[in-house]
Amino acid sequence: MVHSSLHGRGALFDTEPPGLAPRLTGLRPYQHIPTPYEHQGELPFVVLAGGRGLGKSAVLGELRSAYRGHTPVALIDGEDAQFDRPSPDGHAESWSPVSQATVTIAEQLAEPVTGAGRISFPRLASGLLAVAAGGWSDRDLPRIRQEAERILLMNDTGSWVAGFAGRWIGKVVAKLVASLSETGPVVEPIIEAALEAFGEGVAPTQRRLRKGAAWYCDYPNAGGNPKLGLILLSGHFRAGGASHTHAERYLVRALLADLDDAYAGVVQRAHRLGRPVVLIDNVQEPAGFHLMESVLRDRADGIADRVVFFAALRGHGHPALRNTVRRTLPELARGSGWVPGSAPSSRALLVALPPLSPDETLHMVNAACPGQPTHPQLPHAVHRLTDGNPLGIALIAESARQNLPQGAVSLGELLMADVALHDDRTGHPAHRELLDRLAPDDRLDELTVLAAAHDRDSAFVLAETGLPDDFGTAGVLDLEERLAQEGRPGTPGHFVGDPFLRVLLLLRLHRHDPDHAAWQWVHRTLIDHCRGTSPDHSGYRVRHELALGNVDFAVAHLRDTFLRLDTCDWLSALVLIASAPCYDAYDPEGRHLGNELYDDRGAVALGRTDAAQHLPDGVDVTLHLRVRRILHAVWQLTDPLVLPDPRVTERLRWELEQLSNQKPAGSETLWRASRDWPADAAAGRPFRVPGDDEEQNGGH
Amino acid sequence: MAGMTAGWPAWLREHVWEIRFRRYVALMLAVVLVAAGVWGGMTLAREDRSCAPGIERPEGSDECVGVSTTAYDFGQRRLTDVIAAIDRENDSIASRARVTVAVFQPFSTADNDTLRELQGAYLAQYEANHHESGQTPAVRLVLADPGADSAHWRETVDALGRMAKGPDRLRAVTGIGSSTDTNKEAVRELTRLGIPVIGTSITADDLANGQNGKDPFPGLARVAPTNTDLARALTSSARISTDRAYLVYDKPGDPYTRTLRQSFERLLKGSPYQPSAFHPPQDRTREGATANAFRNITFNICDTPRTTDTLLFAGRHTQLRQFVNALGRRGCLDRKFTVLTGDEGSYLTSDKELETAALGRNLTVRYTALAHFDAWTDNPPARGGSRADARTLAKLLAQAEHEPVGPIGSAPLDGGQLTVAYDATRLAVKGIRQATPDGSRFPGLADVGDVWPQLRGSLRVYGASGWLCLDNHGNPYDKAVPIVELTPAGGSEFVELAWPEGRPPKDNCLPPA
Repeated sequence: MVHSSLHGRGALFDTEPPGLAPRLTGLRPYQHIPTPYEHQGELPFVVLAGGRGLGKSAVLGELRSAYRGHTPVALIDGEDAQFDRPSPDGHAESWSPVSQATVTIAEQLAEPVTGAGRISFPRLASGLLAVAAGGWSDRDLPRIRQEAERILLMNDTGSWVAGFAGRWIGKVVAKLVASLSETGPVVEPIIEAALEAFGEGVAPTQRRLRKGAAWYCDYPNAGGNPKLGLILLSGHFRAGGASHTHAERYLVRALLADLDDAYAGVVQRAHRLGRPVVLIDNVQEPAGFHLMESVLRDRADGIADRVVFFAALRGHGHPALRNTVRRTLPELARGSGWVPGSAPSSRALLVALPPLSPDETLHMVNAACPGQPTHPQLPHAVHRLTDGNPLGIALIAESARQNLPQGAVSLGELLMADVALHDDRTGHPAHRELLDRLAPDDRLDELTVLAAAHDRDSAFVLAETGLPDDFGTAGVLDLEERLAQEGRPGTPGHFVGDPFLRVLLLLRLHRHDPDHAAWQWVHRTLIDHCRGTSPDHSGYRVRHELALGNVDFAVAHLRDTFLRLDTCDWLSALVLIASAPCYDAYDPEGRHLGNELYDDRGAVALGRTDAAQHLPDGVDVTLHLRVRRILHAVWQLTDPLVLPDPRVTERLRWELEQLSNQKPAGSETLWRASRDWPADAAAGRPFRVPGDDEEQNGGH
Repeated sequence: MAGMTAGWPAWLREHVWEIRFRRYVALMLAVVLVAAGVWGGMTLAREDRSCAPGIERPEGSDECVGVSTTAYDFGQRRLTDVIAAIDRENDSIASRARVTVAVFQPFSTADNDTLRELQGAYLAQYEANHHESGQTPAVRLVLADPGADSAHWRETVDALGRMAKGPDRLRAVTGIGSSTDTNKEAVRELTRLGIPVIGTSITADDLANGQNGKDPFPGLARVAPTNTDLARALTSSARISTDRAYLVYDKPGDPYTRTLRQSFERLLKGSPYQPSAFHPPQDRTREGATANAFRNITFNICDTPRTTDTLLFAGRHTQLRQFVNALGRRGCLDRKFTVLTGDEGSYLTSDKELETAALGRNLTVRYTALAHFDAWTDNPPARGGSRADARTLAKLLAQAEHEPVGPIGSAPLDGGQLTVAYDATRLAVKGIRQATPDGSRFPGLADVGDVWPQLRGSLRVYGASGWLCLDNHGNPYDKAVPIVELTPAGGSEFVELAWPEGRPPKDNCLPPA
C-alpha cells in the first residue's frame, strides 16, 4: 500500500491523528478504513492557497491517488484547455466552462469504487441535454449525436443491462434527431422528444431519467412542469449574464443532487464508505471559480450536499473570498475549528500552504538521491535558493539525482543541466522546466527581461526600449499585478520580488544567446537609466556594472565611499552591489573568460589573487585590496547558486574586523557585521546590516 | 503516515468488513457456514447406525433391525434372490391399489427358516397379485426384522404400527416363527395396536387365543395347530400308553416347550415315572451344558423297564439334537426307543451336529411337521386337504426357478416351512380381500382381524398344507399334521398324516360347538 509521498503536508494526510482530508472524507488515505468525521453537518469548501510551485496541484493529485477506488473522486484543472472554449465544432451558446466542468466531474465521479458500482447522473444528463439542445440545428447531425450520447451515458450505471442501455440511447438519439425541424425553435421539440423517450420504458435507465427530468419541475416559474423547467433552464443558459449564472448554478445543483442519491437510503449507504471528493485545481479560473461560487451560495442557502471539495487557488487570496475562514496548515493538524458564517464565502476554508522547512528539504533531497554522495551543504543551499518552494526542491533534487553522477557540483550547474522528468522524454535544462511551471507562460520572455529591473521605473525603461510595442508600460503594470495576485509582489530593489523566480529568470536571460548580448543590453540599458536618475540609484548602477563583470568599478565605488558614507549605508550598499548575479567568469582584468560558471570569487576573497592585482595609482592599497576581498566574499556568500564555503565565511569575519580598525567612527558597526554576517551566511539568511531593521538591501 | 497494512487480513477488512453490505452478507454466510459445519460435524460424529432405508442398528447392538421396504438383503446372501424378487413384485404393483403385509422374521440371522418363510410368502404374494389379479387389493410384502430372539421387537413393532396408520396400509403381519417369550410380547403389542397377525409356525398353546376361553391376542390367526393338537395328533398316530412312555422336558421352558410338555403330561397322566427335566441356556440355540444333562438322562432312561419304548421330548431343536446324540451313546443300545417330539424335530434334518449314527442304533425319531411335500402325494385322504392344492404350490415353486417369477434362492428339501409360510400369506390375502367391502379398494385395519373366524366352511383356505378352517379364536380346526421320521442318512421321511381329532375333518369343515 502506498502512502503519501508529499513532505510537510501531514496536517492534510496523516492518519494518526487524522489529518484534514481523512477527517472530511471519513476515509484513511489509501485505505478503505473509516475515520471519524470532523464535521457531521455542512463541510467547509477547502481552498488551498499559495503561489506557483507551492505544491497545490501535488496535494490535489495526492488526494486523488489516496481516495481513487475507495470513494468517488473527480479532479479538474481550471487551466485545462477544455474549459477555455468549446470544442472547435461546438456551439458557444450552449457551452460554458461550468457546464463543461460538470460533465468532466460527473464522468469521473461515476467510476465504480470498492463496494459500490457506477453512479448515474440523470438530473445532470436531463439538464445538460436541454442546454445542449440550445446549440443544435439540423446542419450538424454527427455532432448532435455525439453530444447527446455523451450526455445520456452519464445516466449509465454500467450494469449488465449496459448493452441494452447503449442500444436504447441510440434509439433516443435517433428520436431527438428526428424531432429537429429545418426551421423554427429546436429546444422545445427536442425536450419533448426526450421526455417522451424517457417515459416509454420500464427499464431502470428510463426510470432514472424520468425521475431526473421530473426534478426540474421545481425550477423557478416552471409551475411543476418538468418540460417547462427544462425549457427555462435552456433559455436562461443561452441568455447570458445573471440568467446564465442561475442556469449554471442549477446544473451544479443537479450534479450534487444526483451524487446525493448515490448515498441515499440504507442499502446505498451500506455499500459506500466516506464521502465523495471533488478536486478543483486553479479554482481562480472561470470553470472552477463559478463552480465554487455555485456550491458556496447553495450551501449558504441551506441546500446541502455531502461532497468534500478541495480547491487550489493561485495566490494568497481572492476578492470573492473575503469572509473566508483562514487557517495555516499546521493549525489544521487536529481540527479546523471552522464554523460557517452567513456570507457564502464563509462556507470556504482558506488554507495557506507554507513553504517546506530545511529539514523537509533535506528529506526530499535525500529521498531523491538514495545512496548518492551529495555535498553536505546541498540540501541547505537548495532550501536557501528555493525558499522552501516544493516544486523547486523536487525538480532540483531530481536534477541532482540525474546530474550529480555526471559531475555537476554547484546549484548553478544543476539548474543549467538537462533534466528528464519522464523516462520517455528528452531532458530540458532544469531552470527552463522550473520556469515553465513557476512563471506565467504567456509573458515569460518579457518577464525574463524585466527580472533584471530593480523597480517599476526601470522596468518601464526596459519595456520601452527592448520589448515589443504592444507590451509597453501597460504590459509591465499588468505583469506586476499578476505577480502580486499570485502572491509574488515586487520587493524594494527588485521588480520580480520572488528571489527564486528571479534567479531562474536571470539565468534564462543570461543564456538567451551565446554572446550574452541580451544580458549585456539589459544591464547597459539599466546602467544608463541609473545615470540619469538620483544619486540614490548609484548602488543599482554599480550592481548592474558588476553583473556585467565590471568588478574594478564596483571595488573603486566601495573603496571611495567607505570613508565618505555612513558605515551602515556603506554596508547596505555593499550588500546591494554584491547581490549582482554572477553567471560569467571574468579574469582579474574584467575580461570575459568565456567558460561559464568559472567562479574565482572565493579565490579573490581569500586573497590569493592580491599579488597579481594591478593597483590603481594613488589609492590606499590596503583598503583597496580589503574592499575587493570583502566584496568578493559577500558576492559569493550571498549568491544563492553557490554552496557556502566556510573558509570564505571565516575570511569575511576577519576582513570586517580589520576594516573596523580603519574607520574608528564605524568601528562598532563593522565589528557587529563581522559577527552577524558569517552567522547569516552559515544559516542561509540575508545579511543583516546593523541598525537597519528594514533590510532594504534586497537579497533574501 | 500510517504504517503499512497488507496481506489478506487487511484485504478482508477493507473489502469486506468496512463495507456494511458486504459485512452483513459475509456474516450471514459465516453463520450459515458455521451452522453447516456444526451440523456436518455432528452428523460425522454421530455414528451412522443406518443399514438401509428403514433398517438400522439399535444402540448397543450390531444387528440391523427394522422394517425394510427395499431389496436390502440383511447381509444374508442366501436371501438376496428372494428379496430381490419381492422388491420387483412390489414395484410392479406400485400403481395398483395395494396393501402391505409384513413378514416378521429375524432375517439378519443365519436361520434357514427365514429363507423358506420368504419363499413361501413371496409365492403367495405372486399368486395373489397375478393368478388372482382380478381381486383387490394387491399385496405388497415388507420385511420386518426384530433381531435374533426378537430382542428388538419393540422398535420393529413401533415401525409396523406407523405403517399401519400411514399410507403403507399395513394390514397384516405374518411369519411369527417360533413361540418365544419375545415373540409373544411382540404379538401382544401388534394385536394391541389392532394389527392382524398370522402366526406361521407358532405352535405354543399360550401364544394362541381360546386357551381357557380367553382371547389375549385379538386379531391373531394361526396356520399351525397348537401344541396340544400336535400332541394329540402325534399320540393318536403312535397310540402310546402311559406305561410305555417317558417324558423329557425343558425347564422352565418357553411357551412352545411348556405347552408341549403340558400336552404330553396330560397324555401321560398316571405315569409311574417322574419325568426328567433339563435346564437349557436362555438362548436355546446355544449349546450350553445340557449335553451332560442328557447323558445322565440316558441312564435314567436305560433304568426304565424294557416295556418303555417311547420317549416324549418337550424341547427345542438344539437340545433335541443333544438328546439324540446322547441316546446314540446310551448304555442300553440293545433297547429300541422311539423319540416323539413336536415340529422342532424338522430342524435336525439340516443340523450338521447331529450324529446320524445314533439313528441306526435302535433309535427312531418322529416328529410332527407343519407340512410336508410328500403328505399329499400318495394316497391322500379324501378330506382335510388335497393333492391339487399341494400341486399348485409345487407348480409355483417350479416356475420360480426362472424369471419372471424367480429366482428365489435354493429349493427346499421337504418344504414344510415354505408351505406354511405360503399358506399363512394366502390366509392373510384371503382375510384382507374378504374384509374389503364392495366398492372399496382397501379394508379397514380392524376388519381384517374380524374376518378370521369366518374363514371356514366354504370360505376355508385350501392350503398346500391342508385345509385351514379357523375356529372362533383364529386357530385351525383339525389341521392335517404330517408325522415325519428322521432317516439314518440325516434326511426326513414322511410317515403318515395324523389328525388332532384322530380323523380328518368333515367336508363342511366347520368346527364343532
